[in-house]
Amino acid sequence: MTSVPNDHVGGEHSSPPAVELIDITKRFGQIVACDRVSLTLHRGRIHGILGENGAGKSTLMKVLIGLVLPDAGQIRLHGRQVQIVDPIDAGAHGIAMVHQHFSLVEALTVWENVALGDVGRLDPRHVRQRVGEISEQYGLDIDPDDRIAHLPAGMRQRVEIIKCLRRDPEVLVFDEPTSVLSPSESEFLFDALRRVVHHEGKAVALVSHKLPEILSVTDEVTIMRDGRVVKAGPTAGADASTLARAMVGRDVVLRREHAAFGVVDTLIEMPVDATDTTADTSAGDSPAASVETSEVVAPTETPAAAPVLRLVGITATGRDGRVLLDGLTLEVHPGEIVGVAGVEDNGQRTLGDVLSSLHDVDAGRVEVNGVQVATGTAGAMARAGVAVIPEDRHDSGCVLDFTVAENLFLVDPNRVSRRGLISMSAMRSRAAELIDRFSINCTGPDAPMWSLSGGNQQRVVLARELSHDPQVLVAAQPTHGLDVGAIEYMSTQLRDAAKSGVGVLLISTELEEILDLSDRIVVIFNGRIVGQMAKGDVDVERLGMLMGGADLSTAGAQS
Amino acid sequence: MTDVGHLEPVASDAMNPTPNEPPVSERSRLTSASEVIVLYASCLFVALALAALLVELASDKGSWSSVYTVILDGAVRSPGRWGLTLGVSAPILLVALGTTVSGRAGLVNIGQEGQLVVGAGFTAYVGVRIGGPGPLALLISLACGVVGGAVWAGIAGVLRFWRNVPEVLTTLLMGVVAANLVGWGLRNQYLLLAPPEGRANRNQVSEPFALSRRIPRITLFGNEFPISVFAALAFAIIVWLVLGRTVVGFRLRMLGRNARTAQRAGVSEKRYGVGAMLVSGGFAGLAGGVMLTGGDFGNYQLVANFGAGIGFAGLLAALVARQRALVLIVVAFLFGGLRTGSGFLRSTGVSARIADVVQGMLVLAMLLPPAILYLRARRRALAATSART
Repeated sequence: MTSVPNDHVGGEHSSPPAVELIDITKRFGQIVACDRVSLTLHRGRIHGILGENGAGKSTLMKVLIGLVLPDAGQIRLHGRQVQIVDPIDAGAHGIAMVHQHFSLVEALTVWENVALGDVGRLDPRHVRQRVGEISEQYGLDIDPDDRIAHLPAGMRQRVEIIKCLRRDPEVLVFDEPTSVLSPSESEFLFDALRRVVHHEGKAVALVSHKLPEILSVTDEVTIMRDGRVVKAGPTAGADASTLARAMVGRDVVLRREHAAFGVVDTLIEMPVDATDTTADTSAGDSPAASVETSEVVAPTETPAAAPVLRLVGITATGRDGRVLLDGLTLEVHPGEIVGVAGVEDNGQRTLGDVLSSLHDVDAGRVEVNGVQVATGTAGAMARAGVAVIPEDRHDSGCVLDFTVAENLFLVDPNRVSRRGLISMSAMRSRAAELIDRFSINCTGPDAPMWSLSGGNQQRVVLARELSHDPQVLVAAQPTHGLDVGAIEYMSTQLRDAAKSGVGVLLISTELEEILDLSDRIVVIFNGRIVGQMAKGDVDVERLGMLMGGADLSTAGAQS
Repeated sequence: MTDVGHLEPVASDAMNPTPNEPPVSERSRLTSASEVIVLYASCLFVALALAALLVELASDKGSWSSVYTVILDGAVRSPGRWGLTLGVSAPILLVALGTTVSGRAGLVNIGQEGQLVVGAGFTAYVGVRIGGPGPLALLISLACGVVGGAVWAGIAGVLRFWRNVPEVLTTLLMGVVAANLVGWGLRNQYLLLAPPEGRANRNQVSEPFALSRRIPRITLFGNEFPISVFAALAFAIIVWLVLGRTVVGFRLRMLGRNARTAQRAGVSEKRYGVGAMLVSGGFAGLAGGVMLTGGDFGNYQLVANFGAGIGFAGLLAALVARQRALVLIVVAFLFGGLRTGSGFLRSTGVSARIADVVQGMLVLAMLLPPAILYLRARRRALAATSART
């Protein structure tokens, strides 16, 4: 179905298309990353591939470049069917890819990096000369003798491009090329891209989730969602809102519920006592729960109470000087779940780090219950009552070499100690209580943390953070990598926390999770909040445009 | 509720090949204990065999069969020898305790030898100058030794946490600086050099400690040793308690195991990290002071190359004991015995260099098993986590 419009578009070309991917299917375990996906790239054209995280864009490109072997489907180059077994093979077929993350050796010069991986005798003069030629031909302005370490991100990417162009490929794949670039660098990149395409007749695939890019640069676009092509055709006829709607999909909430129940039924062999334990814990929290039922909370406008967490104009930069948060302003009220939606790498990780005292800010302030909290000071956020379920629990959520009991009292060992001396018996017995209450499956308080499964490690983190009577609960990708039962458990815990009056900040790149749990949704893009909407009037199309960074003058961006 | 969880145990184990089987873990603990013993025994056997071969080939005096008995004789069996071994072990234990503290905080301090020499220098400088009753002067000068060692390690700590300079490099290089600095002090009378009348025929010596300012020595069963041995033992128990049973120790270990989690939980890397370095250097400095005033190392006076490798021996002991303070007591005694034993070997006619090589091989034999065990545990942990994700 999808190849049909493309054939029409490519009708003016007499020769067959440069690349045809036909009904490519790739499964990873139970997950279908690509489900009968077809894609056609023509010479002299830029083809945009648009989709959310996990839509299958990258997998499809990896099939093309030989990093992933498809389970089914055909690849045709210039009408001839081929098999691409590895990236070297792809190179031999004239396919090159500029990856999102650079693979350059900083200590070496440009030409040395370009020559890296060559076999046989090295001819520095020739390589240098070739780099100069390419640089001039495409206006890349690269000196072959510059050291990579001295070059900014935009220039480094040009080196990557030179690495690809040196072999004179016919097909170029760019994977999220602008994710590390500033706007002017992006502009330059696209100028160069247009030159490559129009003067040399190369075929280019541009993988992106940024709508403006797709609209302004590409000639054709394929939109993927959940491993399928949902829309394909010339870019000329499309506008931001149709693309956004296609990218995000309309029936997300419904679909999630179906999926969850369906899988629970099929996975009966797992000891999923989620339903049981949730009933148990909600009963435990019943005083709060009975006062405020979910129906009261659900149709929230912003609650009238003062915000429990307030971030004002937070600006933060990374070690490399890149701006990670750019004047981010955000409020969370007691009893409310605020979902921070956004495509990966738009500042979510830094937001979580700032609220974990792991990243200091350059400007702005964080307030908990109206009191300013020092940023970047060890433990300040935790002491102020900001509980965190971190994005990567192994990184900042637990100590794998410690026991479960020790992990339960990492933040506040004083609870089980007197005058600086830890009482082992108190620690063990309180840990045993928590293990019981949160149904953590382990051999006991003395079990080493690393011996637990991911879901149970997550429960240990959750148990610790909730047992400290938090004011705010920050949950960053809380269900990442968990099975369905654990996801349900985590969702219930977040809802219960909100019911008991905790302000919950849910940071997730999984839109379905956000839509499922949040009372209010804010959208993060390039380190700032670009829009918000209450649960009642979620407009998926607008959400998709905000996430894609479309310039909405009507978005009412809060700042 | 828990019953529900165990309704389908067979299926769950089939899916997730790890959970709770207490009998197996009990048994595996036993087997792993015997594994450790076998590992140590075989490493030691190989080292002794190689040592014997070396003695047989390289020296015309002494025979391979005598190597073991001579080492044992020198370490404990001959009259008065275990007292000497105790005296040598005490500073090794002190250094190793400090290394354990910094190691648990995730820092690699390898400059104990330099910190020890600085500590000895501070002790020597203060000990011959201040007035007051002997025991008090002794304590003050030892305290100055602690300060000296702590400052020396603290510089590396500050550089590490404020300027991101790897402490492995700074501690080691500061050790070279320390040796030269103290050597220079020993050439200047206003610093450490003894007045001409006390120097006899040596050039670079400090003024010897007065009798009242030396650590008292006691005699037990014909073996004489300084009472600093008891102090070192007490410190071992204190370090064990602090690391294992206090909030401060808990936080220190947290920092060593996962610095980012520690930062989030309120453990300031700068405060705890530099603190651990100060403690580590302080113990090395104390060891230097104890060597100087205890009597088993020279004549109660500072000389060039005073450290005599005790700092490195302590570092190795901490590695062998894998940073467990109580195990250290045994390991430090073993290292002390190795030293006194191979010293004895020398006196039987085996050449000094061969005796050193023998000692080195025995140390290696004790270092290899922990390294092997560590690597294996790491691999297991990795396998366990990767099986899960």
